[in-house]
Amino acid sequence: MSDCTSIDPLVTPYVDGELSGADRARVDEHLRRCAPCYSRIAAEGAVRDLVRDRRSALSMERASASLRMACNGLTGRAQVPAGHSLAPAATRVEGRTWIPSWRSVAPVALAASLVVLVGGAFVYQATLHSSRVLAAELTADHLKCFTASSILGTHDAPAAVESSMLSAFGWQLQLPPAFDASGYELVGARRCLYGEGKIAHLMYRDEGRPVSIFMLPSSVREEELVEVLGHEAAIWSSGDRTFVLVTRGSRAEVEKMATFVKAALQ
Amino acid sequence: MRIRGASSTATDGPSVSPAPDFEGAALACLDSLYRTARRLSRDRADAEDLVQDTYLKAFRAADRFEPGTNLRAWLFTILHNTARNRFRDRARDMVAADSELVDNAADAPPPGSSLQAADTPETRLLRETLAPELQAAVDALPQAFREAVWLRDVEEFSYAEIAEMLDVPLGTVMSRISRGRRLLFDRLNPVRPAAARVVAGKL
Repeated sequence: MSDCTSIDPLVTPYVDGELSGADRARVDEHLRRCAPCYSRIAAEGAVRDLVRDRRSALSMERASASLRMACNGLTGRAQVPAGHSLAPAATRVEGRTWIPSWRSVAPVALAASLVVLVGGAFVYQATLHSSRVLAAELTADHLKCFTASSILGTHDAPAAVESSMLSAFGWQLQLPPAFDASGYELVGARRCLYGEGKIAHLMYRDEGRPVSIFMLPSSVREEELVEVLGHEAAIWSSGDRTFVLVTRGSRAEVEKMATFVKAALQ
Repeated sequence: MRIRGASSTATDGPSVSPAPDFEGAALACLDSLYRTARRLSRDRADAEDLVQDTYLKAFRAADRFEPGTNLRAWLFTILHNTARNRFRDRARDMVAADSELVDNAADAPPPGSSLQAADTPETRLLRETLAPELQAAVDALPQAFREAVWLRDVEEFSYAEIAEMLDVPLGTVMSRISRGRRLLFDRLNPVRPAAARVVAGKL
């Protein structure tokens, strides 16, 4: 019935009591003559009233304490001064390393946000451990850092982060601008306070999925892809540095990601 | 990444710290954002991740929020954009599939649902539905309808605000709400279509 079709767009606002004047009268008039539409509107109205009546019961679920903490930790933008209390440079290299847009190059869509850069992360002689133990420790660190609320609490300019990396690790790298066309978001720099040693820790988010890249100075390892704690850790060395990329994902996906990062860091 | 009104014009370093009251007001929406995220993702960790990402983006883009506009709706828009971006590449694109379903189904009243009068024993019985049963029925709705009904009847947003969040036209929002309510009625109504009664009788 064409008349039914014509009132169709008015049904929802009618049920919600948001129609006025002529439109409401038009629907009322139609409902007097059309039993199916009358029933339909009665059903929709009954459900609407029911859901609204149960609103408070449907709204009992609360965010967990850890989520609350994490989101609270996103406020407050106190800057960590560049290079502040970071350990002295372990190595020096020439030339700048540019981490370009993964989104435009990498086969996996990686790059929603560059979240955190961490200098001076832990190594309890991590370099002496087996790859599996190293991967497990770094994965645990990756999880802790992304879970810990305060991790996202600072917002540093790429320049400040680059300067931290240079003074702490002699690692000269060039980050994309805080906002670039590829969608990187540089949020901040922060130190993880584990152990005595020094590892640089770069944290990214790829569409919300945490991705860590660790850099161990003065360390050379076999290239390896280790599955640990539900994550994949890709390990490789370049010069006298070892890099470990940790994230969740299929082996193939992580391998591609690692290949890309490897190329970018050369 | 698409945050409306917060796209990608800033190219300088760290953004200006948002006012504490902005952050406080935003954080006051945490529980409802989380509940809505749970309707978007059945996985709890995913939902928490979504919410965290939403706040991250909101605080980063705080200077692009227009004071005087609805902060809660703005946050919900970021939440939905984030969810869309995140799930876009996943194999199951529920929203797209559902959109087609809506378009095909909008004109035809669903069978079996439209035989009751306004105040019948059925609609009265519906009122007896307990919250857990209702919650389960809402969560069992196809994603597009679940979002629309939830945002409208639980979170009480306007059609225009929901259209902005879901990035669909106003008419689509209304038809999804309408269809979602009818599906809920069918699921909750004790008077089942004949076919369902036959099956039930065999059990």
